Amino acid sequence: MTTVSDPSQRILELAAVLDFRAAAPLTESLLAMRGTALTIDASRVERIGGQCLQVLLSAQQTWSADETALSFTNMTPGFVEGLRLLGFSEADFTREEMPE
Amino acid sequence: MDAMAAVKQTFFQECEEQLAELETGLLAMERGEAESDTVNAVFRAVHSIKGGAGAFSLEDLVQFAHVFETTLDHVRNGALEPTADVMGVMLRAADLLADLVAAARDGLSVDSGRSEVLVTELTALSPGGVGADTEEEDDLSDFSFTPVTVAFDFSDAPADAGRSYTITFKPRPELYAKGNETALVLRELERLGQMETSCDASALPQLAELDPEGAYLEWTIRLTTEKGEDAIREVFEFVEWDSSLTIQASDADADVDSGAGSTEDAFAALLRSIQGDETALPTATAEIIPLPLAEEREAVVEVEAQPAKASAARNGSGGANANANAAAPQTIRADLERVDRLIDLVGELVINQAMLSQRVMEAGHVPGSAVALGLDELEHLTREIQDCVMAIRAQAVKSVFQRIPRLVREVASMTGKQVRLITDGEGTEVDKTVIDRLNDPLTHMIRNAIDHGLEKPEVRIAAGKPAEGVVRLSAMHRSGRIVIEVADDGAGINRARVKAIAAEKGLIAADAALSDEEIDNLIFLPGFSTASEVSNISGRGVGMDVVKRSIQGLGGRLSITSRPGKGSTFTMSLPLTLAVLDGMVVTVADQTLVVPLTAIIETLQPKPADVHGLGGGARVIAIRDTFTPLIDVGRELGFRNTATDPLVAVAILVETEGGRRSALLVDTIQGQRQVVIKSLESNYRHVPGIAAATILGDGRVALIIDVDTVIANSQSDATILEPVLAAAG
Repeated sequence: MTTVSDPSQRILELAAVLDFRAAAPLTESLLAMRGTALTIDASRVERIGGQCLQVLLSAQQTWSADETALSFTNMTPGFVEGLRLLGFSEADFTREEMPE
Repeated sequence: MDAMAAVKQTFFQECEEQLAELETGLLAMERGEAESDTVNAVFRAVHSIKGGAGAFSLEDLVQFAHVFETTLDHVRNGALEPTADVMGVMLRAADLLADLVAAARDGLSVDSGRSEVLVTELTALSPGGVGADTEEEDDLSDFSFTPVTVAFDFSDAPADAGRSYTITFKPRPELYAKGNETALVLRELERLGQMETSCDASALPQLAELDPEGAYLEWTIRLTTEKGEDAIREVFEFVEWDSSLTIQASDADADVDSGAGSTEDAFAALLRSIQGDETALPTATAEIIPLPLAEEREAVVEVEAQPAKASAARNGSGGANANANAAAPQTIRADLERVDRLIDLVGELVINQAMLSQRVMEAGHVPGSAVALGLDELEHLTREIQDCVMAIRAQAVKSVFQRIPRLVREVASMTGKQVRLITDGEGTEVDKTVIDRLNDPLTHMIRNAIDHGLEKPEVRIAAGKPAEGVVRLSAMHRSGRIVIEVADDGAGINRARVKAIAAEKGLIAADAALSDEEIDNLIFLPGFSTASEVSNISGRGVGMDVVKRSIQGLGGRLSITSRPGKGSTFTMSLPLTLAVLDGMVVTVADQTLVVPLTAIIETLQPKPADVHGLGGGARVIAIRDTFTPLIDVGRELGFRNTATDPLVAVAILVETEGGRRSALLVDTIQGQRQVVIKSLESNYRHVPGIAAATILGDGRVALIIDVDTVIANSQSDATILEPVLAAAG
């Protein structure tokens, strides 16, 4: 996971394999960016599991409560397929959580 | 609890015991030890479950038990040979019977699909089949209660009609910790048919409160499939223990009690039967069960009300038990809460007696005076009462071991390995508090032994070993602790690979000089993995780390020995009880502490010539030509900043996990006594280096030292010491 510094919009690039081992580092990365408008780049994602899904859902919820923007970009087929298996659709992650 | 619920609870307790008998008997039959007593015991177990289930209108249970029993009857009367194939089906039938009992107890849905498969298999085994004679209601007349209507309608429940199921699935954190994955489970499920998945995330906290390794989501899946419920169960086979799972067929929500009269009616019938001449129903009192075969001999009186196997009486095989009915000791069934209360009170008594002794001494009564002698007697008596009370709650590990054969069968079939399980020391007793927490670590160790320990049959044959691997599970008492070993005859730990992986993962320095034992212990490090592919059976190294932590949480130790090509042995050593402890009471910086006696080898007064400083505050002590690290307990626990002068202190030589020795430096030794353990976590919070607390005779709280942690905490010093010690030693 790498971050690209941008004063207005920060980007978090998700790891390729979002299994249970990725959940803790992903949480840390997200917490470190709390309070800033964030774009999550899913361009490398090959698969996603239940625990990383939890983290992303919780992040959506948190950013929304903080009234800060959070969006997903470059969703790969692997990412979308993982979401579908776990009961979510691409649309659940394309709604941009915008302030106001 | 109302009376009906109480009787029902007793029935399920009895079922557990009958299922244990069943498993033991079937395994004896599988080994070719099928004496008529064994077969009878097996038959009787199934028959008793059927009878009790009938009284509670547990129809699915009754129906399946009936078919099972009919097949067993053919074995009993010699019409069916108990070959390996037959026993395979019987064992799976026993597994299903256990699941049906559990489902009935927990009010969960019943696997009609799995039942159907096994009913077909059991029927096929019987000469002429048993499918036709399902209307044998008179069979139930063996029991003195009013039989309920039994409809054997498996044919009405087709598995091929594209039935809809609603499945709710809520993983627990352990599911992920063991390397399983919800997404993979759901993908497998999807292969069965048309699936709609929805996820309930309402329990999900905000990111700051989220435990990334927790499990907060619950899935509801609507599945339309032509496969039966058994196929669905199979998908969840390896995760159902670590999740909440319900499977409901859309047309299966009919009232299970319908056609069987109301609950009140059933209870009234039950009461009538209890008040009658024969008491066939499992109750809290002694019971008389007529032997099912008329030609067997006269009825045997069976006094069999086991308080969750509180006595060691029943550690024989099922067959032996059937023989020994007349000689079986009388037992009563007691509420565990009452026993726990008694144990608590005796604990208070021990503390009170210690306080009284102290007051008497303070009042100036010299040892040897009449009062002091009387107190000594009181102390003996108190100790004896405590031992007796603890023995009430002691249970044979059999209750845990009996679940293992099934696990071995499942993991063996999953991994394609041939496994023979040998168990030993099932009668070894340990406190119930320990028993209750043995299951998880043991399950994981067995899975690990089969999945990672044993080789595949072809690899074994190539290595000149029998295709069938052996996993040996044994329990024994050793120096006041219970020791449980899981040994496999597999390939042993590949040390070069373990070391390379640990170095690659940055767990050790690439050039670290490690002993074989230290390399073996690397597998207990968090996140360590040797599996090149993800396995859904034993997970990865993450599992052994969890196992080790849970055993340490019980005050136990886990160690491993491994010989290349010969196999590995995991040894866990646990205290016999979590309620009392023999300890040495010591003083450190005006604080009173307790060192568990099991860790102590000897105590000594350091001499000036024996203590050597190594710089950085580290010191060693020479004990009979070996140098041992000297750990200043006062500094380690933060009671003082300056080092204690070893010449005015006492060194306690202790042995840790792996047999490494260290000397703990304390100010003075007050004495040795039994202390009642009070949890620090539940009353205060976890304190590193402290295992628990106790209350002393003067009413003060004394902390019990966690020897392994104190030594581990001083390990940074020890690492510096290693080369020096090696040179010195």
